[in-house]
Amino acid sequence: MDEKRSALFTIIIIASVIVVFTAADLIQGDRLFSETENRVLASKPRFTLDALLWEDYTQKYETYLTDQFVSRDKWITIKTYMDLALQEKEINGVYLGSDGYLIERHLPSDYSGVQVNKKIALLEKLVRDWDATVMLVPTADNILTDKLPGYAPYFDEKRFLDQVAQHVGKHYVDVYSILQEHAQEEIYYRTDHHWTSLGAACGYSAWAEHTGHEAQDYGAENMELVAEDFLGTLHSKVNLNMAGDRIYYFPKTLEQPLKVTYDLAEETQTDTCYAPLHLDTKNKYGFFLDDNHALVEIETEYRNGEVLFVIKDSYANCFVPLLIPHYEKIYVLDPRHFRGRLYEFMENCKPRKGMDVLVLYNCIHFLEDFAYVE
Amino acid sequence: MVFSSVVFLFRFFPLFFLLYYLVPERMKNLVLFLGSLIFYAWGEPVYVVLMLFSTVVDYVHGRLLERLRGKRAARLVLLSSVIINLGLLCFFKYADFLIQSVNGVLGTSFPLFELGLPIGISFYTFQTMSYTIDVYRGQTKVQKNLLDFGVYVAMFPQLIAGPIVKYRDVEERLHNRRITLVDVSQGLQRFCVGLAKKVLLANNIGELWAFVSKMRFQEMSMLTAWLGIVAFSFQIYFDFSGYSDMAIGLGRMLGFVFPENFNYPYISASVTEFWRRWHISLGSWFREYVYFPLGGSRRGRPRQLLNILIVWMLTGIWHGAGWNFLLWGLWFAFALTLEKLFLGKLLSWLPKGIGIVYTLLVAVAGWVLFALETPAGILGYIRALTGMTGSVMDRQGIYLGRQYLVLFLIGVIASTPLSQRIAKYLKNSRTGFQMALYRFGEKFIPVAMLLLSVAGIVDASYNPFLYFRF
Repeated sequence: MDEKRSALFTIIIIASVIVVFTAADLIQGDRLFSETENRVLASKPRFTLDALLWEDYTQKYETYLTDQFVSRDKWITIKTYMDLALQEKEINGVYLGSDGYLIERHLPSDYSGVQVNKKIALLEKLVRDWDATVMLVPTADNILTDKLPGYAPYFDEKRFLDQVAQHVGKHYVDVYSILQEHAQEEIYYRTDHHWTSLGAACGYSAWAEHTGHEAQDYGAENMELVAEDFLGTLHSKVNLNMAGDRIYYFPKTLEQPLKVTYDLAEETQTDTCYAPLHLDTKNKYGFFLDDNHALVEIETEYRNGEVLFVIKDSYANCFVPLLIPHYEKIYVLDPRHFRGRLYEFMENCKPRKGMDVLVLYNCIHFLEDFAYVE
Repeated sequence: MVFSSVVFLFRFFPLFFLLYYLVPERMKNLVLFLGSLIFYAWGEPVYVVLMLFSTVVDYVHGRLLERLRGKRAARLVLLSSVIINLGLLCFFKYADFLIQSVNGVLGTSFPLFELGLPIGISFYTFQTMSYTIDVYRGQTKVQKNLLDFGVYVAMFPQLIAGPIVKYRDVEERLHNRRITLVDVSQGLQRFCVGLAKKVLLANNIGELWAFVSKMRFQEMSMLTAWLGIVAFSFQIYFDFSGYSDMAIGLGRMLGFVFPENFNYPYISASVTEFWRRWHISLGSWFREYVYFPLGGSRRGRPRQLLNILIVWMLTGIWHGAGWNFLLWGLWFAFALTLEKLFLGKLLSWLPKGIGIVYTLLVAVAGWVLFALETPAGILGYIRALTGMTGSVMDRQGIYLGRQYLVLFLIGVIASTPLSQRIAKYLKNSRTGFQMALYRFGEKFIPVAMLLLSVAGIVDASYNPFLYFRF
């Protein structure tokens, strides 16, 4: 009798878990979009005989069920904490560093020598064609090494940068050393893979010194806070409960009237290189240069005739505004979004007396995405 | 349909069992049969026809064998059944492999069929073959009810990945079974344990192997290589034995008792013992339907060794259409032969620990052949394992070792009967506290496993889209 009662009890507990969640899942309506995952969730596939027999209907239906499963986000959180309890030091390719730093993982084995040599050759060509200045920014894993989990492997960007320096010679700006010196300051976001405005300011002083420009004073005391609840890309990957990052900018960059044009569209022209609209969304880093555009043109009131052409990734978005006091016109081009012939386009932008060209990438994006074809 | 999915746990499972327990005794087989067809057709909406064909073929052959019992024609009927079953299996599983091999050797370019392998075909053809052979031998009665026979073949718990249930193991229960509360509760518990083995252990440890197997072997350190292959050893064990646990548990819930399939293989003190503990139902199938008919050990030592060789080549190739699987089978044939000749005796004199280490080494080396399918991959990995890449330990290896230390420890414990022993000890103890602990654990550990597994299943589809990556 006792055994029977005990068995019944077991059945009730386990069965109720299944029944309760099944019922809850059936009652609950579908969501279109997941905030946490930042993507559109699968919707119910249409049933037809053809779909069943030949078009993976059942697989689509399973994706739909799992995407829409009741309290999906909570299940994912449970799994994340389970991983933490198992002493895991990384989630989805993100290291859980000390001091609350999430640091993107880049494995040495992911970047082959061939790839490195190919990209450097391309860069060399561009430097030769345009007399360009090269700024390759190391990623957080190479600078915040003391915050990485023990023995966490990372792609050695120092070695890679030495190689770049060797090839482009006097065109190479050493950003690595200055970031290294400031490693204890807030130069990278904790929840995002970008450098902060302060990090960009470090890069700026290296740039000014290298190019012989008189450096503006972009110190921490001149920054203004615009957001303090920024949860960036790395946070989305690990989905842990954490405090938001603060986003600062330098008001000094707006002292002079500006004309900013995105993607050649005159009608969207504005008078600032910042887009506060993004501060109300998840993607707050989009504040700088209005997120990603193929081409941004910044015109200033400095009638000094100096023109700069920047070929860049998103690291440049918070960096480029710092250069405003030095140029009359700045072109900012992102090859990933640009459709057209880069060399010809640059030729068209070039005024008669020539222009400065700057290549600014973080090392990883450079290896993955840098492109230059005549 | 796989067990570790939302659609199984929160759609099929509740609906099916509700119906199954509600309908009267004589309707249960019909519900089970139709439910199983839906279960199978969910993953194979086309090849379900093939399974039904196979069912009808063996049913008819069984009836014919019954009618022709004792006559010479019976042999022909048996032969016809074996040819059809093996023919189906060979066509779908090995045809492309054979064509590729011929093309490779002769430089020809015969086109491939490129048909997908029907899920579970290796398992259900072996099941139906056991039936006709047993009927022929008179070891089991013929099944006259097509539905009952259909239930035997299609029954969803073991249909896709075993255990390979012989007809005579379930014959009685096919038409006469009583389901008790204890059956259902123990079945549920067993299912939860199996699910946790698959989702929480196999999938998580498997990530390490997935990571290591994608690295470049030429630069891999010895440490990383060993961590990787040990991870694979855990993964395949928890994956497969977890599946068997789920199948056995579901079988209990249906009122069947399936044979056990795994019995802590990684504590075996010899390879011979390992194969009595690993995938038991397959081993016993080959023993009964191949090894014994070939004469087993009764026709002298040389013949026995030949029989071992044949059985293990077949066992190897059964696991997959590839030369590496054949090699894997031969590897075990080699170890078993040595044990038959002298090593077995030697091991029995040595301390048990040495036997266990030796067996683990043979098994792990076997998994290298099993997991890496190309000669280049196998050789490259062996170089890394033996330190021939010049690197013994590196940052990557140490990091991975620390990262997976806890999971490995759990894996080691879960590979031994320790938790079983603790449960037994608590259950049989007299003190109130220990009894209470047992009762509590027995009820709530499976539920916790179930909940955590669901978290694992849902998380597997976690896929943050980073449109603002740059």
